[in-house]
Amino acid sequence: MNINVPSKAKLDDSNIIVKAEQVNKHFGSLHVLKGIDLEVRKNEVVVIVGPSGSGKSTFLRCINHLEKITSGHIYVNGHMIGYHDRNGQLVEDSERNIARQRAEIGMVFQRFNLFPHLTAVENIMEAPVRVRKTRTDLARADAERLLARVGLADKRDQYPNQLSGGQQQRVAIARALAMKPTLMLFDEPTSALDPEMIGEVLDVMKELAGEMTMIVVSHEMGFAKAAANRIVFVDEGRIIEQAAPDEFYSNPKQERTRTFLSQILH
Amino acid sequence: MYHFDWPIFFNYIWPPTAFQDPLIRNGLIATVIVSIVAQVFGVILGLFAALGKMSKLAILRWISDLYIWYFRGTPLLVQMALLFFGLGVTHIYNFPDIVIGAVIITGAIQAGTLALGINEGAYMAEIVRAGIESIDPGQMEAAKSLGMTSGLAMQRIILPQAAKVIIPPLGNEFNNMMKTTSLMEVISAGELFFGFNQVNARIFKPFELFIAASLYYLFLTTVWTVIQARIESGLGERKGIERGPGMMQRLFSGRGGEGGGH
Repeated sequence: MNINVPSKAKLDDSNIIVKAEQVNKHFGSLHVLKGIDLEVRKNEVVVIVGPSGSGKSTFLRCINHLEKITSGHIYVNGHMIGYHDRNGQLVEDSERNIARQRAEIGMVFQRFNLFPHLTAVENIMEAPVRVRKTRTDLARADAERLLARVGLADKRDQYPNQLSGGQQQRVAIARALAMKPTLMLFDEPTSALDPEMIGEVLDVMKELAGEMTMIVVSHEMGFAKAAANRIVFVDEGRIIEQAAPDEFYSNPKQERTRTFLSQILH
Repeated sequence: MYHFDWPIFFNYIWPPTAFQDPLIRNGLIATVIVSIVAQVFGVILGLFAALGKMSKLAILRWISDLYIWYFRGTPLLVQMALLFFGLGVTHIYNFPDIVIGAVIITGAIQAGTLALGINEGAYMAEIVRAGIESIDPGQMEAAKSLGMTSGLAMQRIILPQAAKVIIPPLGNEFNNMMKTTSLMEVISAGELFFGFNQVNARIFKPFELFIAASLYYLFLTTVWTVIQARIESGLGERKGIERGPGMMQRLFSGRGGEGGGH
């Protein structure tokens, strides 16, 4: 695979893609997110780190409304996600509207979640053809181009169970990209992979960084240092600290951040 | 010592001679067609009931629960009698004979098929639901994250995968269905068992005739078992799922845990 790591993207301050305001989330009596505020600008790569159970994955899943927030607002491209305002009251959107919003947000899952009854190329074509109503031949050409981009042109007609974990995750990234999203969410994309396959997935993600707005929940420090503009540290449902990667890893300000880093770096 | 009437027996198990009696020939055709129609109807009803049971809308869940509860909790024979005699006497619907060319579909056949289908739907609902619930929830999440509505995701992503789980028990249900059509005898629907019963009323050879009748059912279920094994091994080869039990095991082992007699 031919991958060159781009320099970190220039940020355009006027272009806010994601804006979260005072986001709270409860699972029953469990208060998982406690007033999260976050802004992500166009082409920015934000890596969210934090201990397990800190709420970082939950927050990511709230951005495309796979989880419902209890209070607060999340805007993507200026549109409130999952809800609309009716006389000051937040009302959940119709399923069709939520689906339309999700089509603009790509998501990559920890466990890949490829469709096992479809080949690699069919996995990638499915949503463009069924959701965007793209012509099949155009969708197929686009899918093959994306497969080549993630280095899997020769795996076009393989079923997911014929691919390695790393290959499946690269197909999953291509599948999300096929919808031409304005934002990509990565939920621990390498934590279900065998160590020797992590690199190939991170390489694809590094190549995307700079041309795509990305929010990545991951502890991969190498990726964060190479591709992230900002690291956000979440603990117990709150953002504790955020900083550029070099500063975050070399000079953390908060005691909890230092404790966390010492645990993952030992 | 009972004198077994071999000529009568052979006359009624050997199709060329047995089919000279229209009661047997038409009865066999009716049994096969009624089984297929009732099973198809049952699968469709079962799919809707399963989706209803998993619906966000409470009213749909209640309707599905009520349907499944009633039709699994009461005897099929009673349901059939209720539908045919009960509805008939109210004049809500009398099940008039339908004539299509030379074929007459009697009211009893219609009512019996309907009852078998509705009853089957209640059992299929659980099979379909179990099939859908066997699919990793991550599949629905992935489909939704790509902008699919849950209806589209169900149709394109979940049901095609669930089908592989549903088809083996569905095959067993159909096997059962072909035997269960014999209950229609009580409403005088002209299926296979009714045919043999009519012949018996004429010549009174119940031992010979009912052995012959049983062998026809055995033939039908055995043919189906062979077809079912072909279908399942075809599914397995294409999508890499586990192979089902072998032919001998299917024919001679007891029924698996699911279903049970209706």
